[in-house]
Amino acid sequence: MSSKLSKFISTAVFGALLGTAGIAHAADFPQHRVNLVVWAGAGGALDTYGRELSKLLDEQAGWQTKVVNRPGGSGSVGMSYVLNQPADGYNILVHTSTLTFSIARNLMPYKLDDLRFVRAMQGEPSALAVRKNADLHSARDFVDAMKKDPEGLRVGGYGTGGFHQYMLYQFMNAEDFKAGWIPYDASGKVALALMGDHLDAAMMTPSSGLSQVESGDIRLLGISTDERSRYFPDVPTFKEQGIDLEGMVWRGVSVKAGTPDDVVASIQAALDKVQASDEWKTFMTQQKQDDIAIKDGDFTAMAEKQLKTQSAFLKEAGFQ
Amino acid sequence: MSSIMDAFAVIFSFSGLACLVIGTAVGVVVGALPGLGPSIGITLLIPFTYNMPPELSMLLLIALYMAAEYGGSVSAILLSTPGTAAAAATTIDGYAMTRNGRANEALAVSLNASCVGGLIGAFALLLLAKPLASVALEFGPAAYFSVGLFGLTSVASLSSGSLVKGLLAGAFGLAIATIGIDPISGVPRFTFGVPELFEGIPFLTALIGLFALSEAFSLAEGGKTETHSMAPKVQFALLSLAQWRKLGGTIVSGSVIGTLLGILPGVGGNIACWVSYDFSRRRSKNPEDFGKGEPAGVAAPESANNATVGGAMIPLMALGVPGSPTTAVLVGALILHGLRPGPELFASEPVLVNTVLWGLAMTSIVLFFVGSLLLPVWGWVLRLSNSVIAVGIGCMAMLGAFALRNLMFDVYMTLAFGILGYILKKLNIPMAPIILSMVLGYLIETNYRTALVTSHGDYAIFVTSPLSLLFLVLSVLSLLLPIWSKLKSRR
Repeated sequence: MSSKLSKFISTAVFGALLGTAGIAHAADFPQHRVNLVVWAGAGGALDTYGRELSKLLDEQAGWQTKVVNRPGGSGSVGMSYVLNQPADGYNILVHTSTLTFSIARNLMPYKLDDLRFVRAMQGEPSALAVRKNADLHSARDFVDAMKKDPEGLRVGGYGTGGFHQYMLYQFMNAEDFKAGWIPYDASGKVALALMGDHLDAAMMTPSSGLSQVESGDIRLLGISTDERSRYFPDVPTFKEQGIDLEGMVWRGVSVKAGTPDDVVASIQAALDKVQASDEWKTFMTQQKQDDIAIKDGDFTAMAEKQLKTQSAFLKEAGFQ
Repeated sequence: MSSIMDAFAVIFSFSGLACLVIGTAVGVVVGALPGLGPSIGITLLIPFTYNMPPELSMLLLIALYMAAEYGGSVSAILLSTPGTAAAAATTIDGYAMTRNGRANEALAVSLNASCVGGLIGAFALLLLAKPLASVALEFGPAAYFSVGLFGLTSVASLSSGSLVKGLLAGAFGLAIATIGIDPISGVPRFTFGVPELFEGIPFLTALIGLFALSEAFSLAEGGKTETHSMAPKVQFALLSLAQWRKLGGTIVSGSVIGTLLGILPGVGGNIACWVSYDFSRRRSKNPEDFGKGEPAGVAAPESANNATVGGAMIPLMALGVPGSPTTAVLVGALILHGLRPGPELFASEPVLVNTVLWGLAMTSIVLFFVGSLLLPVWGWVLRLSNSVIAVGIGCMAMLGAFALRNLMFDVYMTLAFGILGYILKKLNIPMAPIILSMVLGYLIETNYRTALVTSHGDYAIFVTSPLSLLFLVLSVLSLLLPIWSKLKSRR
């Protein structure tokens, strides 16, 4: 080894030791590297979120983190990875609202109690989308058309028994109409199917066809946010149109149940720093994500409530 | 125009070329290692690109993508171990050539075909992105189904020897493809409650087991007596004029097939390599040479899988929708730089867009030089004895199987497929149809059912959609033509 290189390494090691010592004074956690266990493969929205989170935890909170992709089993593989490690907070699960769907459909041999919910950080709505030249101009038009002829429009979206189909189900219940569901196995394909006239209407995340939404090739008739989305200010909410439909798919982090309170508090403090940073805000704007911070008990309550309503939907739709 | 000049300034700057060379070198290695493909390679490199300008980081990543598609063929040819899924078809004739002592020729054919394929794909992206992307929009579920069916007809070509055994293997592959959560109704099928099987049997575990491990077993069985190869020298990179005359048509047709199939999300290189292989075998004057070490059997899939790189970038650049898993990872890399691929990027970031478009063409040229320099390195693999190679293949197969999803479960599955492959070899049942129908099974099934859900159960959807009808007719023709020509020759 050249002397230059060994000098560099010893400086780096010394620096790292100094760094950890500093943190150890501020809080006891973390003392070493933290794994962010992403339960999806590389690429895609969850992985992008996990990697940005890792970068910002390092930069903003002085942590040393590593993204670990554990895809498979509708999330079971990532979940079992975290649950098989000690409840010390060093393995943080990066997951989505698919969690409750997978549990409700018995695809996952776990319960909500197996996790300690830490924080939901990203939210994305579902929107009713049609092609540019469609003869529908509001969510009401869509409801009327479906009431007239439930088979007249081809309705679909991403996934089977997932968030978007669940939103359509709630939409149908709220407005008392019937519709079929044509599932696509990738969210990008939904925008393509709309453009190519293979679907007439879709429930989709607006960002999955962003270019088309911005160019006007795909029109959004309603969006499932509580108030108008800051990214799509021209799109009326369903609520505005008198339709009781609201919901978000979320992405967040959790740890194994039984993780000590002070460790969770340290994680929360680090996440506060991340969410306060300009980099995080820019990232969320670029990704067209809503910046949310639903913590601890609130997060658990939200997941429990969603599990209950989704179970009812899945039973009725024949998934259970 | 000035943005093109600016893009050239970036590409031909020292750091631009350095990114291309480093990306290419890493890509070849990542491609050659089974289990590590272009998407995992890019994911591994992304953290290093955080602090690079987006133009340079894209050059690095697309060079890796392009080179990995070639790298997959290196281990396929030398070790019967396809490094990437899209190199599966290369294994058949590539490894046969190695066993005939023509490894250097096979590697050179692969390198030349890959570079030409990559260039043609890149120029399609550069010149025809908009019109080709609108063709992709015309493909609905019915048309995807028919494309898949058309791909399946090449099972006949892949079953050298006995057609019955080929069909048997094909049916087995289709059966395996039904394992996992039902894509339409969401019910787990044949998973026996094992969560690792929910997403189905990963295609790469079957591929590595059937091709690589079974070969390791056979080599181990053969003992040390037989030397692995007669020609341990890998010396030339550029094909001679005579070879170009022989293979040029195959390479061009393979590139066109690869470009077109690359555009369709969910089709891509894994399928293009087989379709191209089948096409060149049918066109060939001596189709019986395929499977026994025919250079066209290497040129066809290798030109096709590199051409899919440009093809897969077409929907990404023209519509903002990734055309392959690897381009989906590229989207992630761009987002980290605060950019979102799509048509609006042409106006907001013209230099970046032009760097990607022209840079992609450059990656093929850089690949040619880096690939040539690396050829002697592969030479020493050939000098190893069979016993060392058998153990080496075994280790690489296990590592590759684990790297796929970081699951021991996949390693056990690969082992099972290895034993199965060894038995099938003894029974002379071809393994290529298993792989082909595993790739196509999911595509065919999901789109068949999505089409029927769309049409409320009306089968007419398969013939009323013009693209679907076209591919159905092609499927029928490709089944009937060989029978017809056989009958004619008998008379």
